[in-house]
Amino acid sequence: MNLSGTAFFFLVIACTAVPASAQIDFSGEWAPRFWEDQPERVPGPELGDYLGIPISEAARLRADTWDASIQTLPEWQCRPHSADYIWRGPSNLRISKEVDPVSRDITAFHAEWLRSVDRAIYLDGRPHPPADALHTWAGFSTAKWDGDMLTVTVTHLKEGYLRRNGLPRSDKATLTEHWIRNGDILTVMTIVTDPVYLTEPFVRTTDYELDLRQQVPPYPCGVVQEIDRKKGEIPSFLPGTNPYTTEFATRHKLPVDATRGGADTMYPDFLAKGRTQPIAPPTAPPATTSPPGIQILPVRGNVYMLLGAGGNITISVGRDGVLMVDAGRAQMTDQVLTAIRQLQSDLDLRDRPLGSGAETRSSVASRNTEPPAKPIRYIVDTSADPDHAGGNEKIRAAGRTFTGGNVAGNIADAGEGAAILAHENVLQRLLEPEAGEQKAPTDAQPTDTYYTDSMKLSHFFNGEGIQVIHQPSAHTEGDSLVWFRGSDIIAAGDIYSTVSYPVIDVKHGGTINGVIDGLNRILDLSVAEFRTEGGTLVIPGHGRLSDSADVAYYRDMVTILRDRVQAMIDKGMTLDQVKAARPTGDYEPRYGASSGPWTTDMFVEAVYTTLGGGKKPAPAPAPARGRK
Amino acid sequence: MKVVAYILLFSALVSAQGRQGGAPPTARAAAPIDLTGTWVSVVTEDWRWRMRTPPKGDYASVPLNEAGTKAADAWDPAKDTAAGEQCRGYGVAAIMRMPGRIRISWDNDTTLKIETEAGTQTRLLNFVAPAQRGEPSWQGTSIANWQFAGGGRRGGGTARGGSLRIITTNMRAGYLRKNGVPYSANARLTEYINRTTEANGDGWLVVTTMVEDPQSLTSRFVTSSHFKKVPDGSAWSPTPCSAS
Repeated sequence: MNLSGTAFFFLVIACTAVPASAQIDFSGEWAPRFWEDQPERVPGPELGDYLGIPISEAARLRADTWDASIQTLPEWQCRPHSADYIWRGPSNLRISKEVDPVSRDITAFHAEWLRSVDRAIYLDGRPHPPADALHTWAGFSTAKWDGDMLTVTVTHLKEGYLRRNGLPRSDKATLTEHWIRNGDILTVMTIVTDPVYLTEPFVRTTDYELDLRQQVPPYPCGVVQEIDRKKGEIPSFLPGTNPYTTEFATRHKLPVDATRGGADTMYPDFLAKGRTQPIAPPTAPPATTSPPGIQILPVRGNVYMLLGAGGNITISVGRDGVLMVDAGRAQMTDQVLTAIRQLQSDLDLRDRPLGSGAETRSSVASRNTEPPAKPIRYIVDTSADPDHAGGNEKIRAAGRTFTGGNVAGNIADAGEGAAILAHENVLQRLLEPEAGEQKAPTDAQPTDTYYTDSMKLSHFFNGEGIQVIHQPSAHTEGDSLVWFRGSDIIAAGDIYSTVSYPVIDVKHGGTINGVIDGLNRILDLSVAEFRTEGGTLVIPGHGRLSDSADVAYYRDMVTILRDRVQAMIDKGMTLDQVKAARPTGDYEPRYGASSGPWTTDMFVEAVYTTLGGGKKPAPAPAPARGRK
Repeated sequence: MKVVAYILLFSALVSAQGRQGGAPPTARAAAPIDLTGTWVSVVTEDWRWRMRTPPKGDYASVPLNEAGTKAADAWDPAKDTAAGEQCRGYGVAAIMRMPGRIRISWDNDTTLKIETEAGTQTRLLNFVAPAQRGEPSWQGTSIANWQFAGGGRRGGGTARGGSLRIITTNMRAGYLRKNGVPYSANARLTEYINRTTEANGDGWLVVTTMVEDPQSLTSRFVTSSHFKKVPDGSAWSPTPCSAS
C-alpha cells in the first residue's frame, strides 16, 4: 500500500468507526436542587408523614413507635443514608469513573455524597456476592447500559429508611436505579422492592444539576455522649402512645387516612375513591429453605464461615491447623469435613523463601512442595444445642491435640482427637441432660471448660489471640462468644441471629435480658471501620454475616420488644392477652414465624416468662450446675 | 493529488449511501422507544402539592422571584373561574405533574398526542414544525424530536434506544401549581421522556420537565415525574378543569 492508499485507509476508519461504548458520561460534580419535596428533604420530614409511600402495616406500626431520640445512640450517630435514600438527601454528589488502563473501558462509576461511603457501581461484569455476605449502607451495585440509560442493580443493603421519620426499609430490599442524563441535568429513578415493609415497589425520580464549581467537602463524624441514659435503654414509643402521629395531618389540613400512607395513596384514584386496599395485619413471612449443602463464605484473613450445617460454623484455618467455633449438626459432619479439607487444600503452607542470614537452613530443602495440612485442633462450642454441638464427636475424631510436657503428657489418649472448649454449663448439660434428651457420648463432650467470665487460648492460633467470653443466662445458661482478636471477628452463637427473633431456651437458663446483655456486649467489643459499617465482623448463630450496625438494629428490636412486653406485664396482662396484642407486629414480616422450631408465640412466651409475667417470680437463671 | 481524489471519491460514496435509503423514515417509523398506551401517574413526590390544591402561599420548592411570589400571593380561584380561566393549573408546564392517567397515541406519522384525564387536556407533539404557530394556548406549541442513544450514530456496538425531547413555547400563562404559583406566557418548557421496562414486567415513563421563565422564576424549575403503564384504558375517566 502506497502512502496515499494508507491515508485513504485511515480516513475511512476515522469516518466510520464508532466506539463500542459511546455511552453517556455521568462523571462530574452534581448539585442537588430541591425542586421537589424541599421541606421533607432539607429540614426533614415531619412525624407521621407517610404520604404516597406503599408501606405495609408493619412499616406503619414501626414508624408510629419510632422515637427520633434513637438517633442519639452511639450506634446511630454516624450512620449515612443508604443507597436508596441518599439520592433524596440534602447532599452534594460526586460521580467519578474508573477506567481500565488497557481497554480504556469504564469499569465502574463511584458515587459519593457529603456523608456517605464510597459507592462503587461495577460495569465490569462481576457477579454479586453470595446472599449471606455482609450488607452495607451502599449495598453492592452492578450496572449495564440500556441505550444511554444506565440501569443499576443493588443488593446487600443494610436496613435503612424510606423517609427519615422512622419509616423503615428492611435489609431484604433490593434496589433498581435508572440513571438518565439530559445535558446538565441528571435524573435518577430509584425503584425499591422490599418484601418486608412495602406492598409495591416504591418509585421516585430525583434531579441533580451539573455544577462545575462544586466540591464535596470532608465529613468526619465522631460519636459522642449526646444524652445521659441508662445503658441499654432504647428510645421508642409503646404502641398506641405516640402523640405525634396525627400532628402532620392536622398542621397541613390533610386527611389523616392519606397521611397514613400505603399503596392506595400513590394513585390518583385515592382522591376520588379513598382507600380501596384494606390494611392487612402484618404476618410472618413464608418459610424459606436454605440451599442444600455447605457454603463457604470468606470472612476476613484466614477466617471463614460455613453455612448450611445447622448453626453457622466459624473456622480459622492456617499454619497452626483448624479451630472451629461450633461443629454443626451431627448428620452434616461429613460435608463439614469436606469443606474444611477444601479450605485447607487452598492454603499455601509452603515455606517462605529465606532472606539473608540463612545459616542453618536452606529453602532448597522444601523443594517448593506443599506440606500436609495441619489437623483440626480446637472446637469451641457456643452452646450445647444439637445444631451447634451435634457434630462434636465426629469432628473431634478427625482432629488431634498435641500433648507433651506439662500438657497431659502422661495421659495416653490425651492426644486423640481435637480439643473441645466450652463453658462449664455446656458440659453439665451434656452430662446431665433434661428428661427426653440424650446424654452426649464421651467424645462429644467438652474436653476443656471454663467457669470464669472468659478464657483465652494460651497462645496465638493462626496468628491471633482468641478469647472465649461467657454470656450468662442469654440464649442458654452456657453461651460463649468467641472473639478473634486479630481478625476482629466475633462468633456470636445463638445470642444473635439474622433470621429469627432470638431463641431463648428458658428450660436451659435462657432469658431475654441475658440476650440483650449479650448483644450489648458484642457492641461494646465492636469498632466500626467507617460510617458505622465494617470493622468488627459478627457471625451470627444463624443467618448472614454482619457488623456492629446490624447487631445494633437487632439489639434495638429485641430491647423494644422486651420493653413492650414488660409494659404489658406491668398492666397485669396475661400471656394470652399479650400474645393477642401482637407486640411484635412491626417486626413480624422480618423475624416472625408461625410454624417451625421457633415461632413468634414461643418467643413472646419466653420473653413474658423470663420477665416474670403472670405474677410468678421470674425464674432465676438455672443454677450453675457446676462449680460455684 | 491522488489523496484528494480518494477523499472526493469517499465523500461521494458516503453521500450516495445516504440517498439510497430514499425519504427519511417518519417520526413514527423511527421511534426508538414506544411511548404509546395508557399510563398512570404515581405520586410519591410532592404529594401535598399535587394531590390536592395546596393552600395559598405554599410554594415550597419552587424558585419564585419577587414578581412570581407576588402573583402567587394574589391567587384568587373565584376570579379565575369568573374569567373562564379554570384551566390555568392544567397548562403545559404543570400538566405532567397533575395526578391522573395519560393516553399517548400517534395522531399521524409526525404527531404524537398526549391526552390527560386531569383537565381533559390534549397535547400535540409535532415532529415537523407547524407552518403557523397559531394563538397561544394552554398546551402551547410543542416541537418533538427523538434523541437516539449513542448520539444517533449507527454501527457495530451502537447502543439502541433513546428518549424523546420536547420543546414547548407559545403558551398561555398558567400555574405551576394549582394554588396560583405562576409561569408566564413567555416561559419555555423543555421535556425529556424516557421509558423503562422492569424485571417484573412493569413499564414506566420518566418525564423530566424543565421550566425556564425569568418573569416568574429565579432559575429554571426542574421536576421529574413517573408514570406506570396500565394494561388498558378501561379506567379512563377525564375530569374538567377546576380552579380550586
